[in-house]
Amino acid sequence: MSRMARTRTSGRGPRGSSTLLAVPGGIWMLVFFIVPILVVVWYSFGQKPGLYGTHDNSVLSLDRYGEALSGAFLLTFANTLQIAVIGTLICVLIAVPFSYWLAVKVTPKWRYVVLALVLVPYWTNFLIRTLGWQILLAPEGPVTVLLRQLGLVDAAFSMLYTKGAVQLGVVYNYLPLMILPIFVAMERLTPALREASKDLGAGRWGTFRQVTLPLAAPGIVGGVVLVFIPLMGDYITAQVLGGAKGNMVGQMIAGQFQQGQNWALGSAMSVTLILITLLSVVLVGAVGIVCGAILRARRRLPIERTAAGATPARTGTEVPA
Amino acid sequence: MSTDASGGSTLELRGITKRFGGSTVVDSLDLILRPGEFVSLLGPSGCGKTTTLRMIAGFEQPDRGSILLDGAEIGGLPANKREVNTVFQSYALFPHLTVAGNVAYGLRQRRVAKAEIAERVAETLQLVRLDRFADRKPAQLSGGQQQRVALARALVNRPRVLLLDEPLAALDRQLREEVQIELRLIQTRLRTTFLFVTHDQGEALAMSDRVAIMNGGRIEQLDEPEAVYERPATRFVAGFVGQQNFFDDVRTDSGVLVDADGVRFLPASTPPAGPAATVAIRPEAITLRPESAEIPVNACAGVVEAVNTLGDSRQYVIRAASGRTLVTRSARVTEPQRFSPGERILASWSPDHVAVFPAASAA
Repeated sequence: MSRMARTRTSGRGPRGSSTLLAVPGGIWMLVFFIVPILVVVWYSFGQKPGLYGTHDNSVLSLDRYGEALSGAFLLTFANTLQIAVIGTLICVLIAVPFSYWLAVKVTPKWRYVVLALVLVPYWTNFLIRTLGWQILLAPEGPVTVLLRQLGLVDAAFSMLYTKGAVQLGVVYNYLPLMILPIFVAMERLTPALREASKDLGAGRWGTFRQVTLPLAAPGIVGGVVLVFIPLMGDYITAQVLGGAKGNMVGQMIAGQFQQGQNWALGSAMSVTLILITLLSVVLVGAVGIVCGAILRARRRLPIERTAAGATPARTGTEVPA
Repeated sequence: MSTDASGGSTLELRGITKRFGGSTVVDSLDLILRPGEFVSLLGPSGCGKTTTLRMIAGFEQPDRGSILLDGAEIGGLPANKREVNTVFQSYALFPHLTVAGNVAYGLRQRRVAKAEIAERVAETLQLVRLDRFADRKPAQLSGGQQQRVALARALVNRPRVLLLDEPLAALDRQLREEVQIELRLIQTRLRTTFLFVTHDQGEALAMSDRVAIMNGGRIEQLDEPEAVYERPATRFVAGFVGQQNFFDDVRTDSGVLVDADGVRFLPASTPPAGPAATVAIRPEAITLRPESAEIPVNACAGVVEAVNTLGDSRQYVIRAASGRTLVTRSARVTEPQRFSPGERILASWSPDHVAVFPAASAA
């Protein structure tokens, strides 16, 4: 397919005009993504010139990175990583069964109604949603009062301004971003594949594990990336629900740029955050690819090895595609 | 799991009924497949043939009736506990597994030892001539190759009955004819009981030991291909299998059947009693000759309206004096005389080829 498309475009020679289509997007990326990132990187090599200045690049050094990697930042960073990893995992654990139910069990008539119910809160302003949780979790808020009346917690209990509140808030805020790609991946699978699996002797769980889940894997990977990366940089949720105990790196960086007026240190922290976030994604991806390859290799049958060694030339009996 | 691949099992459907909403899709259907037999369920779309197959596979539950495999009821079992396998119309190959992985799937569910899996997968892939493609993904194969993977994936489990749901429908004609022959050879070799669902009569007639023609959720006729073609039991079967020239509203007049336009028919056997009937004559049973002599019965005068060459045969469209059209067909090499459009001819047929059906069965 793609080869055909490529041959067609190059054959007629409009390669130039098709490249033209990428220009608006390219300019957008350049102006609003690449240039700002480069500016941040550049600032991170500078310093705070004095009490009233924000940055100065006359002397270049890596000292800001030294400052950024000091105790307080690392502690908050570990905290952030923990919230992001646990938050992403909880999102996966909720989104996979939910998407399966939505894509397989719900009749098509109701499927998109339920999907809309997932999305409507997501379309509501991020800050308002988070503030809603502040009210719910407040010491005199409905959730706390209910738990107290049920005798599950003592009078001093308040979930607001704890790490738990931030954890709850991020799962709530990012869950739709996990559900959407997984739902799309699962809905694309034809029911005939699950029927074929059952026909061949697999039960429900076996079919889910061996057919539905591997084929939905691209959706899960997409969801994890969509949730984990923004979650690492999130500071609104932590700001509103976390207080002093639920601090996240995003807050710290925002603090350097705003209250601290130290753009150089803020930039160094940003660059560190970006690099470590990318590194963890790449690391997890590499582990996943290696595990998949090992698993596949263990399942390989001898005939696949002989077939791989055979010449790809067609015999007369083969039917060309 | 039957390990005896040379056997084949008996499958019996007793009074199977299935309703969807208000409509009865399968209507108290009875069918017995003998061990090692190749039976086709043939019928127009919506006749209930695929639903019947899905009930045997376990994807649908019948509202009434029982399904017996070698005498044991399997109607209540879930699909994964039935010793039957299905070749799906869409093939439903697992896109994330290789050809070998697809074929091994069923054996892995049954926890067959790894060495045996390797052996049986290799053997089955050789049977469908795909052993050199074992490490490919389904998307890298042609339609015909995918079809063979689907067949191998089902056969490797040595099912007691193999169910095939229009498995050749997606192939182009030439390939389909090749696969028909191949499929029949494999079936003859393994002696597995095959139930083959199709709407293509040529396919059903060419491959099957017996053909069951379905209409409106019931089997109208279950017989050998030649019998179905030559001695259709109902008007529906006569019209669905092969082409026919129908003469409706035929009445008995002193031992001879006469239709509304005055064409007279004399069947070889005594026609069924009744006020009105339908007569059917096959296009290839009609002989054309120049309009010279008058033939009183089993003949009809007319003008050649069109001549179409169908490769091995020639088809004439004849317009009778009454205005109705007749279609006739003759083998090109043995045809005594060739006619051109506009020529006046006399179409005639022998009493053996006059099929009479009671008018009540006209559906």
